[in-house]
Amino acid sequence: MQDGRHIMVLRLLRLLAVLALAAFASPPNSGAAQEVGQSIAGMIAEQQKVLQALSSKTDALEKKIPADADEDSGLLDDRLQLEALSSQALQSALAFRPKVAEINRRLEELGPVPAEGKPPEPAIVATERKTLEAQKAQINAVLSVAETLSLRMNSLIDKTTAMRSELFRKVLTHRFELTTAFSEKIGVDARTEFSRFYDAVSSWLMFAVKFKLQAMLMATLLALAAAAILFFGGRRLFGHMLYPDKSVEDPPYLARLSVTFWTTLVPTASLAAFFAAAYYFFDRSNVLRGDIGVFLQGFMIVVATIFCVNRLANAALSPRLPNWRLIPVEPHAGRWLIRLATAMAVIIGIHIFLGVVNEQMGSPLSLTIARSFVAAIAVGIILLLMGLVKPFRTRTGIRRPWPTWLRSTIFALGGFIIVAALLGYVRLAMFASIQVVVTGTILLMAYIGFLSARALGAEGGFGASASGRWLAARTNVEDITLDQLGLAVSVALNILIVVLFLPLILLMWGFHPGDLQSWAYGMAQGVTIGSVTISITGVLSGILVFVIGYFVTRWFQGWLDGSVMARGRVDAGVRNSIRLAVGYAGVAIAALIGISAAGINLSSLALVAGALSLGIGFGLQNVVSNFVSGLILLAERPFKVGDWIVAGAVSGTVKKISVRATEIETFQRQTVILPNSILINDAVGNWTHRNKLGRVEIRVGVAYGSDVKRAYELLSDIVRGHPMVLKNPEPFIQFINFGPAALEFEIRYFLADILNGGAVQNDIRFAIIDAFAKEGIEIPSTVQAVVSARKPAPWPTDDDKVEAEFAARAEAREKAKEQAGKRRRKLRGPDPL
Amino acid sequence: MWKILVAAVALLSAVNAGFAASAINKDSEPRTLVVTQGSSKTDLQINPGETVQFCPKGCFVTLPNGDLEALNGSETIEISGGVARIK
Repeated sequence: MQDGRHIMVLRLLRLLAVLALAAFASPPNSGAAQEVGQSIAGMIAEQQKVLQALSSKTDALEKKIPADADEDSGLLDDRLQLEALSSQALQSALAFRPKVAEINRRLEELGPVPAEGKPPEPAIVATERKTLEAQKAQINAVLSVAETLSLRMNSLIDKTTAMRSELFRKVLTHRFELTTAFSEKIGVDARTEFSRFYDAVSSWLMFAVKFKLQAMLMATLLALAAAAILFFGGRRLFGHMLYPDKSVEDPPYLARLSVTFWTTLVPTASLAAFFAAAYYFFDRSNVLRGDIGVFLQGFMIVVATIFCVNRLANAALSPRLPNWRLIPVEPHAGRWLIRLATAMAVIIGIHIFLGVVNEQMGSPLSLTIARSFVAAIAVGIILLLMGLVKPFRTRTGIRRPWPTWLRSTIFALGGFIIVAALLGYVRLAMFASIQVVVTGTILLMAYIGFLSARALGAEGGFGASASGRWLAARTNVEDITLDQLGLAVSVALNILIVVLFLPLILLMWGFHPGDLQSWAYGMAQGVTIGSVTISITGVLSGILVFVIGYFVTRWFQGWLDGSVMARGRVDAGVRNSIRLAVGYAGVAIAALIGISAAGINLSSLALVAGALSLGIGFGLQNVVSNFVSGLILLAERPFKVGDWIVAGAVSGTVKKISVRATEIETFQRQTVILPNSILINDAVGNWTHRNKLGRVEIRVGVAYGSDVKRAYELLSDIVRGHPMVLKNPEPFIQFINFGPAALEFEIRYFLADILNGGAVQNDIRFAIIDAFAKEGIEIPSTVQAVVSARKPAPWPTDDDKVEAEFAARAEAREKAKEQAGKRRRKLRGPDPL
Repeated sequence: MWKILVAAVALLSAVNAGFAASAINKDSEPRTLVVTQGSSKTDLQINPGETVQFCPKGCFVTLPNGDLEALNGSETIEISGGVARIK
């Protein structure tokens, strides 16, 4: 009863749902089209208006660009504006996408136009189709306007880029006549300039002291408080990192790096905070007037930069604490380098500050040239001095200069800057000096980064670092894993440094971010060789996929072996075979997926493989045959790991069957690597193939004349009495030979496990010796070595004969002597006296 | 260890995705897109079954059926049966 009511309610609900869906899903067709049409018309009008506005802005910019031809910042500004306009045009075009998608969907619903000869579609469908297509055409027209506009903007952008590089080239190659620039007029100019600046500053000071003293003091105090909070707070937080521990003999590189970092950061940040707060409060209390704000800002930035450079140089070279140096140079040279670096920062800082002053006061060009000239010459001289510093010491204690390449580079740069300035290419010289300083700083930072990466990658380097210790404390990672992790981090850090600093340097050298982006994109897109495109991202993702596939295979292998097959009591040999086969298949699949993920088409690879297979077939015949043999070994399993096999002269236990060769350990613990093809092609004996049953023979000799029957009985008892000798097949004792020295017996018995043969043989032989000794049965030993003693000649029996012989021998000796003497005399010739 | 590896992989794949617009041709004959990017207009031919990456930062593209579309550089265009769909 209740069930019936339930079903009724459900049915009612379903009906309601269907009705509601129908009401929502099928609005009257013509009405929808009209609605869409109206909204589209409105949208088109709206976007046309937007595009028109953009177009007129572009016109204005197009006119402005030639006027900006001599000013880099103006051109850059135009370019940025054009870029913004271009993206606006794109956005305006993007707005149509939902509408176009809607129209397309509707057209699809209407289906294709009926072919000729087929019944025509109903009038209502035809009209709707027409309306939709007309709308689409309108939208396309607007979009093509946007496209044309975008093309125009982008070609203008290209034009500004070209003009900027041309301007840059012109500026760099512009030569000033130094004699005219440094005429007497310059002294006058400088004096008026200085007095104007002095007037401005002093009048401001008077005003400030008179009317704003309280506000100024208040602002300074507040700024000081802010800086103090940062400074003392920083000390409190990072105090242990701020002060190097002098007692540490050899602090790890990363500790040195962190000390350098914090000792530079905390004071610099405090100073910067002081300046920023002071400027802010001055500005808020209307203390700053006229150009003073700009001057003050420039001054503060310059001072903060100089301070930062000095702190950094001090921390990195720390002449007082040799152990804590980041860059290993001598203390004396380190002090000089700090001074020179600070001097360089001061010069460039003053140059920049004076630039700000000149710009604000609209100074004559001669002053700008003079300023740049002096600064460039000074930077050049400082560079030369830096090159002269001898920062290292040889083992014998003699000061050693920089490596030749570095020294010559420094000298060349310094010389170039000075010569360029002296020849009048002042802007080029200044540009070069600023590039040298900034690029040098970036390179130095990169070098420190490389050193840190090396320290991380060194043995135990990562474990000693803070993150390494953290990892070691949190997880149970072993030292070796930690070391490998450190190595990986170090490699990654190296790559990161290159990836970070290379674009930075390129940017410094005047490349545009857009260029870099398109380069990076091109690199990621890859190079196309024939039909194969190789890209870095593709290759990386291919490698990644392969690595993942490899690990998944390993995990699957382990799971299959450890969880499934071990529980299933699968034979060890089968387990090994399956594990290996799964491993090879997994790696092969991972490699294939990796290759296809790398963007290399497998079909083209197959073509190459087909062409190469003939060559490979000949060239790698042995390897391939071994490989195939290995597969056959895995499938056929004539032996498995742990078997005792005899292959040719090799006899031992199988340790590992791999795809090319099989490892066999002999009983002398020698590992023999036997190519699989030998194991397949030649006869292989396996002592433990189906079972470990095996027969052992022991030969025993019994002396002639012993009680042979008794000996037989004894042997029989001994062998039957041994617990490890099998009763079935029965042991058997054969009287095999009437030997030359003994009556020979052979005991033959079977063992359940042939691998125990040695121990059982020992037992039986000892037992035989004991039993025979007890029964007085002798085991004869045959003498193998024949020792020949030297016997004296027997005493002569016939004296006369011996005497005659002796006389004849003496006569013959006499004769021979005489003849030899004659011959010698003849040969000697006439006497010289 | 494994978590770090997985996180790194996820990060890498996330970086790898969303790099540029891509177009895939599911037809059995090559299709051509006309791409207006920067100050140039180029034909981009896509072979059957091929996926190409293009248009890293916004472009206009003329689809095989003549429709003009603007892309902002994160779309996927799928061409099948001569009709392109933007996803």
